[in-house]
Amino acid sequence: MQLTISNVSKTYENGLKALTDVNLTIAPGMFGLLGPNGAGKSTLMRTIATLQDPDTGSIMLGDIDVVKQKEDLRKVLGYLPQDFGFYPKVNAEDMLDHFAVLKGINNKSERKAICDALLHQTNLYDARKRNLSEYSGGMRQRFGIAQALLGNPKLIIVDEPTAGLDPAERNRFHNILSDLGENIIVILSTHIVEDIKNLCPRMVIMNRGQVLLDGKPSETIEQMRNTIWKLMIDKNDLNAYKEKYKIISAKVIDGKVLIHVKSDTLPDAAFSVVEPDLEDVYFSNIL
Amino acid sequence: MFSEIFRFELKYALKKPSTYVFFSIYFAFYLFLSLAASGVIPLGSSDSNTLLNSAVANASLYLAFNQNILALIHNMIIIAIMATAIQRDFEYNSHSLFFTKPITKSAYFFGRFFGVLVIALFVFSGQLFGLLLGSIIGSGQPTIGPIHLYNYLQPFLYFVVPNTLLFGTIYFSLTTFLRNTTIAYLFTVIFFLFDLAANAVLSDIEYQSLAAMLDPYGNKALGKVTQYWTPSEQNERLLSLTDYLLYNRAAWLGLALLIMWFSYVRFSFSQFLNPSKVFLFRKIREQSLSPQTPAIQHVGELPKVTISASGKAFWNQLLFISRFEYKRIVKSYFFIIMLVLGGVLAYVISSFNSLIFGTEVYPVTYNIVSQTGSMFQFMLSILIIFYSGNLVFNEKQFKVDELVGASPIKSSTLVLGKYLGLLASVALGLLGALITGVVIQSLKGYYHFEFNQYFVSLYGRTFINLALISAICFVIQFMVSNKYVGFVISFIVAFLSKIIFSQLQLKNPLYSFNSSGPMLPYSDMNGYGDSTPIFYLFKLYWLAVIVLLFVFAIRFYLRGKEKGLKARFRFSKYDSHKQFRLAAIVSGIVFIGIGSVIYYNVKVANKIISKTEEEKLEAKFEQTYKHFQYTHQPRVVSSYVEVDLFPDELGAKFKGYYFLKNKHKVAIDTIMINYSGEIQLKSLQFSLPHIEIIDDTEMDVKVFKLNAPLQPGDSIRLDFAIDYFRKSWFSNNEKSDVVYNGTFINNSLLPSIGYNDDAELDQNEARAKFNLKPKARMNNINDTAAFANTYISKDADWINFECIVSTVDDQIAVAPGYLIKEYTKDNRRYFHYKMDCPILNFYSFLSARYKVKKDKYKAINIEIYYHEGHEYNLDRMINSIKKSLAYYEKAFSPYQHRQVRILEFPRYASFAQSFPNTIPYSESIGFIADVDENDPLSIDYPFYVTAHEVGHQWWAHQVIGADVQGSTLMSESLAEYSALMVMEKEYGKEAMHKFLADALNKYLLGRATEKKKELPIMLAENQQYIHYNKGCLIMYALRDYIGEDSVNSALKRYIKKVGFQSAPYTTAKEFVANMRLSTPDSLQYVIKDLFEDITVYENYVKDLKSVKQADGKYKVTLTVGTSKFKADSLGKSKEVPVNDWIDIGIFNEQEVKGKKTDKELLLKKIKMDKAVKTFEFIVDKEPVSAGLDPYNKLIDRMPDNNKCRFDAKPTPPDLSANSSNVNITIN
Repeated sequence: MQLTISNVSKTYENGLKALTDVNLTIAPGMFGLLGPNGAGKSTLMRTIATLQDPDTGSIMLGDIDVVKQKEDLRKVLGYLPQDFGFYPKVNAEDMLDHFAVLKGINNKSERKAICDALLHQTNLYDARKRNLSEYSGGMRQRFGIAQALLGNPKLIIVDEPTAGLDPAERNRFHNILSDLGENIIVILSTHIVEDIKNLCPRMVIMNRGQVLLDGKPSETIEQMRNTIWKLMIDKNDLNAYKEKYKIISAKVIDGKVLIHVKSDTLPDAAFSVVEPDLEDVYFSNIL
Repeated sequence: MFSEIFRFELKYALKKPSTYVFFSIYFAFYLFLSLAASGVIPLGSSDSNTLLNSAVANASLYLAFNQNILALIHNMIIIAIMATAIQRDFEYNSHSLFFTKPITKSAYFFGRFFGVLVIALFVFSGQLFGLLLGSIIGSGQPTIGPIHLYNYLQPFLYFVVPNTLLFGTIYFSLTTFLRNTTIAYLFTVIFFLFDLAANAVLSDIEYQSLAAMLDPYGNKALGKVTQYWTPSEQNERLLSLTDYLLYNRAAWLGLALLIMWFSYVRFSFSQFLNPSKVFLFRKIREQSLSPQTPAIQHVGELPKVTISASGKAFWNQLLFISRFEYKRIVKSYFFIIMLVLGGVLAYVISSFNSLIFGTEVYPVTYNIVSQTGSMFQFMLSILIIFYSGNLVFNEKQFKVDELVGASPIKSSTLVLGKYLGLLASVALGLLGALITGVVIQSLKGYYHFEFNQYFVSLYGRTFINLALISAICFVIQFMVSNKYVGFVISFIVAFLSKIIFSQLQLKNPLYSFNSSGPMLPYSDMNGYGDSTPIFYLFKLYWLAVIVLLFVFAIRFYLRGKEKGLKARFRFSKYDSHKQFRLAAIVSGIVFIGIGSVIYYNVKVANKIISKTEEEKLEAKFEQTYKHFQYTHQPRVVSSYVEVDLFPDELGAKFKGYYFLKNKHKVAIDTIMINYSGEIQLKSLQFSLPHIEIIDDTEMDVKVFKLNAPLQPGDSIRLDFAIDYFRKSWFSNNEKSDVVYNGTFINNSLLPSIGYNDDAELDQNEARAKFNLKPKARMNNINDTAAFANTYISKDADWINFECIVSTVDDQIAVAPGYLIKEYTKDNRRYFHYKMDCPILNFYSFLSARYKVKKDKYKAINIEIYYHEGHEYNLDRMINSIKKSLAYYEKAFSPYQHRQVRILEFPRYASFAQSFPNTIPYSESIGFIADVDENDPLSIDYPFYVTAHEVGHQWWAHQVIGADVQGSTLMSESLAEYSALMVMEKEYGKEAMHKFLADALNKYLLGRATEKKKELPIMLAENQQYIHYNKGCLIMYALRDYIGEDSVNSALKRYIKKVGFQSAPYTTAKEFVANMRLSTPDSLQYVIKDLFEDITVYENYVKDLKSVKQADGKYKVTLTVGTSKFKADSLGKSKEVPVNDWIDIGIFNEQEVKGKKTDKELLLKKIKMDKAVKTFEFIVDKEPVSAGLDPYNKLIDRMPDNNKCRFDAKPTPPDLSANSSNVNITIN
């Protein structure tokens, strides 16, 4: 089973073009969707998650037409949106049970079993009687993934799951994600390069509603080899360099600025070559 | 700095469209109100004496938005404008931006507050401009006076400005400190309920002053100050800030400033980081650290689950969601607070709701159910509006929308689950009503709980109504993108649609949302009557409407992230239930089917006619047939009727005949017959040859021509047969005459002879539209032609009467007359009644499953036909009948009959009415009265009403006035006098005070709202506040001046002269002349003052002191003043010199049954021949209070200052405003 996105475009009422002719084929496994804020990631995620209709194009999961058979898709979908909350004064256990019912898990003992298992798995079992409003950010995200895993989904979409988490929580979260298995499609949308690097065998980079790059992270890095150069410069010189070179990133380190420049040849003797990483790939694509 | 923030606030608000929307709402509302009331927009006309654009009228129009349901809207708008001025900085997280700037607290706080205050006042100025424009457009209309800007501005400054400041401050402070508008909304609702309760509790005139102070809007203070203003004063005077109005305004404005000062002091920038907690008991739990090493299982090892197909999951999901939402609702503070509050308030008002003359009724279940039920219904409606919006927008509000939206649950299942959850909480709320009701009954020592009534009323009726309201609120919330917009629309639909439709004269129940058809209140006698199936029919109709709307609106349900209605509709294209189509088709069929049934019943079979159509028809009747008023007609001299009552079929058949006699001096050849439009005329046959020349079925008139004219003195027999069955299952109005148990009909269903000018259009404003001359309300007292008729009947004098009434075999049927035979035939009971003396052409037929209590006074049989269970006051009634008969026979004349019968009828009307020896008496006005013997302020009104009705056997059934002005003086006023005398003998003088104070209040209020003209009682035109309320005051005063014996001997002489007379009939002039004969010369002025003029006094205490003398007695020096006014028909007063005998009294106190009451130390009549006089008296005991006319025997617009305590400061009135120089003409 694979997810096929063909020619999907979406323009909002205010004229914002969120998606422009997006074509993707996603096979089971972890799939990374990388892009800056406002790139159209969430729109794409929501469209796949049946929360929006595309203006044109089609999305198929196996033989399920996402636009026309929303309910069928929802049955095999696990979705963790970028921004979500919970009802006040409802504890985790009840809330998860509620989502399980919405999912269509009718059998009470099955529901109990899966909820308990998920709470264990996300390490929330001890906190299951606590109101969700009292959860920390990491706990909330773990709860979010717990609800997304209800009902043995075949397609899991996680939208910016690690934004705002501390490193420990992020690791914990990555562990859960990485465990999701190879048989289901997991789409991880993020603007954090680290996430993709750790988890995804395949990824695309999006910006301004378009897919800019599609490939395996390692391959894309490999393609970049010997094209990224670095130089420490003075802060005041940044503008001058900007005019001269294609700077893909500039980081302030100890009052100086470390710039990365993309160029097939050595731009200047002062530069030295860098071993490219995913971040360089990312920055060089979204510029 | 202040001005910068202030200006910013103004600019911000003036950019928001809502500011202009709110302004337009007020503007349009008041413009419409003004145009409709002045008749520019025609909605049926009525005459009025008062201008619509006087200061008082404008004030009460402004204050209309502070009352009832409008107060809720108004307050919500104040919250919307003013509450969030500071809180929104927190909401949008911009507070840190502001607080880190170098602004002072005062500039920030007051800048924000005054900014929104000015905006609020701008919005409410829509009221002023709406009224002003309305007046300008309507100028020239009779009800629009000259336009003075200060008439609009002054009340705005007195009421709108301080009230906005007060409530704005409250909401602003609450919201700022609690950082949440919910509490402000809750406060509004709670305040509204308290206001409701306070109104009920403080409605008695004793509490008027307290109520005037407690009302934060100043409405009651305005009422207290202006309630007795006559129409002319209302039109001309400006409001003056005096007395209660001043105290009230000052007190509440002071409170507003205090709250503002307090908030300002307490406010600090850092406060934002820590909102004040309302519910302190909520514990903040410590966050426990999650364990470091997560025990990860492999996802593949997760237990397998089966996901059911949506069809199978439906019921399970529905149940689960409804339980989930139900729990969330009933656990919320809002729900619990509303429920507890509803219970408490229902209890508080339960003692006050059915007070008549300070006397409670027994807490019978229907009363308690309807009071408690309506309190809870209101509260639950608010809850429904609130929760339906919240439930629909819950996911979005708490950002669960994407999680839920991506689950495979169907939107319809989800919202139906929510809907059912809401209904379950409503059901729980109604259980609260039931428990409250039972508790109230128990606390009052009443244990006859009729649980079936509780269930039928609360769950069979209220719940169904609320379920439909909930459904429409859901539908509305589906269609909007913002729940607040949904709240407003829901509110309008749930609470205002009926009012709006009726204002627009749209009476068709097919489009008045949630109409119930003709509803009868529950009656112990008749239960729910025939209204139950009709109720459910209407509800089924509305259910069909709702389902249709639902199937459509669910397509717009906000699921997913699409914005805009169109996109939402498109988005749900593949998401709808297949069953929806079926549901839509079935509902469509039900909608059309039941809709047609209802349409047929209310529109085709029973014509609904609007007020304007009715006016047209009345005008046409007059234009077509007026000439018959001057065509001599024979008069009914005898009536024989066979009536078959069919209570189960809700109908009756009449068969009988009249004998008509030509009492005129000329022969008659044309006879006009009028019949009721309600009946089916089967036959109409004269005993002499005749032809029918007019058969007008539109106006229900037939005219016959006799082949040979009827000669003077000759008679003719008119046979008639009438069926009286409902033309259809139901009409738009409830009919309550022939019912299952408790039928009460009268002879107005039978044909009448000649032209009846009572059927003419009587509003002069409307008459003008049809080019009809203005019509006097009654014939002039000097119109001798009108002396030919009594005011009861235009086609008969005294008649012989006989009837046979039949009914079903478990009921007793009663009509005037003596039972001469009772028999059963074909399972029906027949009662044959015959009157042995002539009676007025005024009789009734009643039938019910009666119990009968019998007694006897001398040879007179007393019978009370009552509903089993209503035994409470039968002895009081019998006692009253006996005492009345004894007093009236001795004082007036012998009783003309050998029996007195009281017959209970259902509470659809609440009056008692005297027919010859037969008194139908509503179950609601005496049968269940709970007279408290120990409370001196509680009036035994079953006794009083009975005495009044028995009095009518003399005053109406022996003496009946001509069809001219003033004639009700000899019926209603004298029946009041008679009853007062019997009452005073039974309960003593003390018991009269409360009664007379009540009468004075009602009279003064009545004259303030007179629509045409107030007249002296001698010329009264069937004006209740005159013939009842003023009648009992002046007769009591006359008795006080000339003595009971003199009054009674004059009445005796009068009865002897005019009792049972034939035409020409007596008039009030003759009555007054007769009273003069028994009045000494020195008091002749009293007769003129009381009967012939409108006389108003202002009696007061100016100064008083008492000194203890050596002998232990007290010397009292008392300075009192009096002014006497004569008023014209609009209440314009002119001061006249005073030279009157008035009571002066000195009192101390005594304890009677635990209550302090006044005890007379001295009471005598003194001559007030100067405006102010000082008197000295010696009394034996220490005086506590003293005054002039302390018992308010004279009509006095400020009755409170007649008496003063020695330890208090007298408050002499400001007399300047009362008098103006006008000529008084009485015609």
